[in-house]
Amino acid sequence: MSDRMQISNLSENNFEQCTKCSICTTVCPVAAVTTDYPGPKQAGPDGERYRLKDPAYYDKALKLCLNCKRCEVACPSGVHIADIIQKARMDAGEGKRASLRDTMLANTDLLGTVANIVAPVANVTLGLKPTKWAMHNMMAIDKRRTFPAYSRTKFETWFKRHAADQQNAYPNHVSYFHGCYVNYNFPKLGQDLVKLMNAAGYGVHLLNKERCCGVALIANGLYKQAKRQARVNATNIRQAVNGKHYTVLTTSSSCTFNLRDEYPAILDEDTSDVRDSIMLATRFIYKLVDEEKIKLIFKQDYKRRIAYHTACHMQRMGWQLYSIELLRMIPGLDLVELEQNCCGISGTYGFKKENYERSQAIGATLFKDIEDARVEAVSTDCETCKWQIEMSTGLPVENPVSILADALDVEATRKANGV
Amino acid sequence: MRMDTVIMGGGLSGLTCGIALAKRGKRVAIVASGQSTMLFNGGSMELLGNIDGKTVTAPLEAIATLPKDHPYSKIGADRIAGLAARAKLMLSDSGINMEGDVAANHWRITPMGVAKPAWLTLNDHLRINDLNQLPAKRVALMCIRGFFDQPNSMLAQGLRDLGFEVNAIEFTTDDITALRRSPSEMRATSLAKRLVSHNALQRLADQVNSLAGDADMVLLPSVFGQNNADDFQTLQSMVNKPLRLVATLPPSVAGMRMMTQLRHYFRMLGGNYLMGDSAVSGTFEGDRLTAVTTAKLGDMPLRADHFVLATGSFISRGLVADYERVYEPVLGVDVNADSDPNRWTQFGVLQPQAYSRFGVATDERLRCLKQGKPIVNLHAVGSILSGHDAVKMGDGTGVSLLTALAAIDDIIKSE
Repeated sequence: MSDRMQISNLSENNFEQCTKCSICTTVCPVAAVTTDYPGPKQAGPDGERYRLKDPAYYDKALKLCLNCKRCEVACPSGVHIADIIQKARMDAGEGKRASLRDTMLANTDLLGTVANIVAPVANVTLGLKPTKWAMHNMMAIDKRRTFPAYSRTKFETWFKRHAADQQNAYPNHVSYFHGCYVNYNFPKLGQDLVKLMNAAGYGVHLLNKERCCGVALIANGLYKQAKRQARVNATNIRQAVNGKHYTVLTTSSSCTFNLRDEYPAILDEDTSDVRDSIMLATRFIYKLVDEEKIKLIFKQDYKRRIAYHTACHMQRMGWQLYSIELLRMIPGLDLVELEQNCCGISGTYGFKKENYERSQAIGATLFKDIEDARVEAVSTDCETCKWQIEMSTGLPVENPVSILADALDVEATRKANGV
Repeated sequence: MRMDTVIMGGGLSGLTCGIALAKRGKRVAIVASGQSTMLFNGGSMELLGNIDGKTVTAPLEAIATLPKDHPYSKIGADRIAGLAARAKLMLSDSGINMEGDVAANHWRITPMGVAKPAWLTLNDHLRINDLNQLPAKRVALMCIRGFFDQPNSMLAQGLRDLGFEVNAIEFTTDDITALRRSPSEMRATSLAKRLVSHNALQRLADQVNSLAGDADMVLLPSVFGQNNADDFQTLQSMVNKPLRLVATLPPSVAGMRMMTQLRHYFRMLGGNYLMGDSAVSGTFEGDRLTAVTTAKLGDMPLRADHFVLATGSFISRGLVADYERVYEPVLGVDVNADSDPNRWTQFGVLQPQAYSRFGVATDERLRCLKQGKPIVNLHAVGSILSGHDAVKMGDGTGVSLLTALAAIDDIIKSE
């Protein structure tokens, strides 16, 4: 009987499973604000039928896709719609046409390395009107966009100088894939993770070598470079996981999603052997608390009202529950869970002049929800959501790890965990 | 991860359970694999519309005559009115305002212009209480140029057959015309996103006012109010005649809005809605289900005192059929289905189909059976239940709402 069944006869990215119900298009944040983009059903499975016949049917409008994956989350039939679109963009050679602007934005680590060296100058300069004018007109980076500040000291440098030596003293150990944002822009998040993990009895170690995860390279079509960097990361993650039996923690939802799912889906870098050992720190910490392996003790006088925003890739991973549940453990924290709407920035997308207005239009619903929530800060697991929400609402945005670290009674927690 | 109750399935029945429990302060997680079939809903809930091809006018009386394997019979005919009142209250608490009488069906109008019996219909949608007393004599049926989701001539003919004098008027506005750039997506939900701003609604109202002539009532396709019912109120205040919406082909704006409102209410009550995740297996200990593993949470299964199976019917993959059998794919609980695949269907898509009555087997308390024995902390609710037929009996949404509330009562009682 089984030979008559076609259940296992599935196409790549499940595209044959599409029933043309159009539900994906109803949740697409781009199609909601522009008629230039045909929507995920048309851009994905429908267009794929044509492209399979003749690649000339490729539609340049596919560049407008944010790769937010909301279509995949909504799909009742399990079609990997956004992956179909990404693959089509790659097959059409979008990366070969990448401009200097796109290459620069995509190379977050290269940009960061340079900016770190000249951070005080860079931060001021990037905020100056003439610089913004020049970027706007010569590089098509929108002048209305606030550039994230660069840190003077890289996280890696701080870690080597101030933290690395003490890590071996802890009874348990984890590895940390810090990502570009922590390294170049905001080392405090990495420091917060070290503080939190140390208090719970875990030493934190960096990978032997870490490259930018490549999420921005994929978005800008620089697939070749993304594949090279993916190989380096996969090798070093394997050394940590297989060699030392460390779990590799992250503090960025997009890096995490990229390492776990986009490497095999888009970059042909099979990470399935270590996938389960790469996870957001909030998931790892929640699990330890849930299994009563560690205790977190929070300050009694911590009082804040905070809204949690589920980043698109966080929703795709389905892990917002861990961050939310951990935040709910803080006694003085009044947490509002926002409706799951896209903020519109999508990494480097919103930085581009041609996307700025669309980016802000996409985020408008979320910004209104945040305003209505009457909170003093917003929490999210994604750094680019942070830039967008800070710029568009004026409220500070913090990673859940930073909030946990701030609210933590470090001495009491260390004691409770026998540190 | 520990919850009081874990609900598999995030559609109408799952959310009804979730809201009822979260309101009682319980820790609840709903695992929802994608959007639900509520996106195919035209803005009405039905209790019971037909028995053996005959239209039901008084659903409460008709429910008392149903066979004992029907979910309503398991709940008990005497409890239906009370549960129905609670369901209506739950909907209005979520911001979904519907009208209707549990004792007497009214008529809703399908996108094809057919009148079908219904229990509740959204306040802003066309509802006919008595076919001999239409709510208007002359109606202006406003047809949007280039719109995909409303078969205008069929709808107009259907309304004429009911006795309306119909003036079908094609119209457009700049906001609508702009959408035609993307010809494949001139759909109801896309229009709803464009027709939100005060100015866009005013431009549309101006067109309607200038074209509606001497009509007593203006009918527009249901393309307003993606997130709340305020857009319709704004539009009505701009249009100088009574305005009603007519259901469109799916995905429907009304269905999307109702799901958004229910989800929002559930989250407000502190519930966890795991969108895009799906239950993949369960762990049983004796006659109890102790944990459910999901695709996304992986090695951290959801543990709970109680579980609800609300994963829907075949279309939502709550039930799966291969060439040999029908089965429930997550927990492998017992299914009521004909063992001979040749008897599952009959020729003619509009004929009654045996498979639409297939579903999981439960005891009288709606607890799932596994190898004939009840799993004492696992209830099944909604479309996945056997013994009813949403298409032919018009009992789908009613079964979803009422079995959900009945199961919650049983869970609360057992504690």
